[in-house]
Amino acid sequence: MRQVALLGAVIAVLSGCAGSGGAIPVVDSGRPVSNEDMRTGAGRVTTQTPQAPAAQSDSGVVVMVPDGQGGSSAVQSYPLDNQPAISSSGVSSTPISGSSVGSASASGALQADEQLDGPVLALLTTARQQESNGDLNGANASLERAMRIAPREPQVLYRLAQVRLSQGDAAQAEQLARRGLAYASGRPSLQAGLWELVAQAREQQGDAAGAEQARQRARVSL
Amino acid sequence: MANKRKSRGKGKSGGRSRLWGWLLKLGLVGLVLVGALAVYLDAIVQEKFSGKRWAVPAKVFARPLELYAGRSLSRDDFLTELKALGYRQSNAANGPGQMAVGGSRIDVYTRGFQFFEGAERAQRVSVRFDGNRVAGISGAQGLVMARLEPLLIGGIYPAHNEDRILIRLDQTPPYLVDSLVAVEDREFFQHFGVSPKGIARAMFVNLTSGSLRQGGSTLTQQLVKNFYLTADRNIIRKGLEAMMAVLLELHYSKEEILEAYLNEVFLGQDGNRAVHGFGLASQYYFAQPLQELQLHQVALLVGMVKGASYYNPRRNPERATTRRNLVLDLMAEQGMISEQQATDAKNKPLDVTRGGSLANTSYPAFMDLVKRQLRADYRDEDLTSEGLRIFTSFDPLLQHKAETAVQATLKRFGETPDKTPLEAAMLVTGAQTGEVLAVVGGANPRFSGFNRALDASRPIGSLIKPAIYLSALEKPERYSLITPIDDAPITLEAEPGKTWTPQNYDRTSHGQVPLYLALAKSYNQAAVRLGSEVGVDTVLNTVRRLGVDHDWPAYPAMLLGAGAMTPMQVADMYQTIANGGFNTPLRAIRNVLTAEGEPLKRYPFEVRQRFDSATIYLTQQAMTHVMREGTGRSAYNQVPSSVRLAGKTGTTNDLRDSWFAGFSDDLVAVTWVGRDDNDRTRLTGATGALQVWNAFMGAAHPQSLADVPPAEIVMAWADPATGLGSDPSCEGSVEIPFRAGYQPLPGPGCKPVIDTEVIRDGANRVLDTIRDWLR
Repeated sequence: MRQVALLGAVIAVLSGCAGSGGAIPVVDSGRPVSNEDMRTGAGRVTTQTPQAPAAQSDSGVVVMVPDGQGGSSAVQSYPLDNQPAISSSGVSSTPISGSSVGSASASGALQADEQLDGPVLALLTTARQQESNGDLNGANASLERAMRIAPREPQVLYRLAQVRLSQGDAAQAEQLARRGLAYASGRPSLQAGLWELVAQAREQQGDAAGAEQARQRARVSL
Repeated sequence: MANKRKSRGKGKSGGRSRLWGWLLKLGLVGLVLVGALAVYLDAIVQEKFSGKRWAVPAKVFARPLELYAGRSLSRDDFLTELKALGYRQSNAANGPGQMAVGGSRIDVYTRGFQFFEGAERAQRVSVRFDGNRVAGISGAQGLVMARLEPLLIGGIYPAHNEDRILIRLDQTPPYLVDSLVAVEDREFFQHFGVSPKGIARAMFVNLTSGSLRQGGSTLTQQLVKNFYLTADRNIIRKGLEAMMAVLLELHYSKEEILEAYLNEVFLGQDGNRAVHGFGLASQYYFAQPLQELQLHQVALLVGMVKGASYYNPRRNPERATTRRNLVLDLMAEQGMISEQQATDAKNKPLDVTRGGSLANTSYPAFMDLVKRQLRADYRDEDLTSEGLRIFTSFDPLLQHKAETAVQATLKRFGETPDKTPLEAAMLVTGAQTGEVLAVVGGANPRFSGFNRALDASRPIGSLIKPAIYLSALEKPERYSLITPIDDAPITLEAEPGKTWTPQNYDRTSHGQVPLYLALAKSYNQAAVRLGSEVGVDTVLNTVRRLGVDHDWPAYPAMLLGAGAMTPMQVADMYQTIANGGFNTPLRAIRNVLTAEGEPLKRYPFEVRQRFDSATIYLTQQAMTHVMREGTGRSAYNQVPSSVRLAGKTGTTNDLRDSWFAGFSDDLVAVTWVGRDDNDRTRLTGATGALQVWNAFMGAAHPQSLADVPPAEIVMAWADPATGLGSDPSCEGSVEIPFRAGYQPLPGPGCKPVIDTEVIRDGANRVLDTIRDWLR
């Protein structure tokens, strides 16, 4: 639980937002509550000092680091060498491709709420390139590869939902975004992005009322 | 020939000119016939050679092993994978397929591979280990991840069982072509398909030894023989062969002929399957790609062309060595290699792998699943001839651990009293991805008969119970983890006019027990009471929402698992619980490429939310109590107690079926132990299937189940005896998760709220003061 609190703290600091955390009602029972308990013990942490990937840093950023079979466990993350944090203006270079992360279709690029670690970031970048080359199937495959490494990383699910939406699979895009929401508590900007995707997916499915509800959730999240 | 004899019988005067006329006519007819034959043969030659020359079976690959810092992977497992892929030890990994093994560091030079989403290049990667984790990887500038090539786990063969790994001329290792030509057909690059010199030599040998011993065939003729003709030896066939060889040379270049030869030549027999071509032979004898073969290996294969079974290096190693060294001497004689090279190569062992089965029978249960999923999309003839490349989620390391767990545990159980063997089945999936990682279809994992993991449908017993408790927890206004459930005896109407009185396994009632504990201890009376309160229909519908279609009648007996499922269906059901309430169809195939490496089809990850994450979280919590204090306790004899696990035992009437289904953060594993004749096993879920599960999980290094509650969960203090709100100050109170908005109000607390000492002091002082006044 200490780590969870730490995670909340880091997120709170990195996102620079202290709005009420989103509760994601999926089945309409239970009342949304703010997850204030997730936001304790915030101390400013810096995560921008480059260091060797293997070194255990005390930066205190917790990311889910994968194991071989698609699980993940929280460990300390480390920024990559010369790796700027990904931001919504979205320029990042990864050693693999050195491309820039362009602006995404739905609501900007990745959310600037958490530093992702090496392999996941590299794969998201590769997927972005494939997408801009019109290779949506390739982008999908790269994102699923990232999902196997970090199955609970909502950024990956967010991008996966985006790509499925571009492919016209709105129903699956909505489901993937909802799965992302299940793991995005305490990350309000990311929640807003995911709800926005849900709204777009519902629009594509001809569910105007559902889309409006999702948009409201997006506004509440921010 | 017969015509001549006929004409000779007509020897009359004036017949001479007539005879010549006949002969002329006959000659013309013969010429026309030969011409027609040539045209006909030419058509055959071209048809076979210009179209698709070979039916290549679909190749099925395991998942590629991903390498990155933080990944859970032990050094030993990594080595196992490298050895299976035929990596060779060297002092420094200088080229593809080599590895340098140190204590906590392994350097590999990967081979590179064409995947669905792009190419992985061959590169040198240094992997450092720390316990069961990759501490870091390094390689080219800024390398953060790398992939090994995937292990080939099988092919989908047509009835005649032909297989090939097609190679191009430019993919051959050094010396292969030169030595092949030197040994088999020295004039290959000069002749026009047949070699008169060779034929003369062969005829001389055959005449002097009195039998057809030497072929004297050119490479072209050998190819024709393999390609178009049957293997019987007679003079007519020899003639046809020679004609077709000449025709082949007319139409095609030497390079094309040579390439076809390299892919066609017969180099061994693997059970009922012929090993054709150098590409496949290299895998079969050395478990290495052809490009990586060294001089001594090349010489061995070239030597085997003359007689693959006679010179079989596994069965006749001495004979094969002699033949190999002869080839090496010949190469040195012709100046292709130096004497020193020849000597060095001759001093090397044969280097063939001990096994040598071409992964066809290796993983029959998993291959069976792959074929079933493929047949939904492809015709059989496409699967057996188009050379499709099928990429699956199969994890050979986990498969090995699953097989070992099944076999070792069954061995420990020993024989049943009546000598009937116990059977077992097991299925492992990725908890978050729904990908099938390992399948064991029976007590003998190599046996490709009845696949129990997919086809053995058995009553699931208590495995149904999480569905009962999940149905209850979906009503937060009535049920929480701590709600007292009555475990008193209960009698229900089973069917109209029939009553049913279930009993607890220990034949005792436990009174009022908290809901989570009733599941952990697998109390039948409590489960049936709870199930009938929420409704049998509701519970059966919950099972459907968990991913299993069934047509079970809504009888109360269903609440104790009278309905049957296959291990695969059980995995599907538990997957949904492990996956936060999102159901995903279990998949074995990730994607398919054409033989040329072009993307053909994806099988995308798909999810459907069936339950809200808060309810699932609570269900998971209850299932972790099964492992901590309930029927699954023995798991922690094998798995470190720091690893959170969740699961459920299942036992059916009279101990016929023993089940366990459980998951960590990353793995769902389902095990079943029973008998094919459905007789008694004397095993409960805990003494049978759970032991297999434990052995597997003990070896698999599972990730601890994540304990981050979803946003709709709050923690509150409660009294386990009453289920009412309590306070941390109270003896025996526990802090447990609730659906937000449904947590009990905090109790009054068990420390005095106001310090009565102070009050009494104050009161005494007041009284004293009053007394003073009254004085």
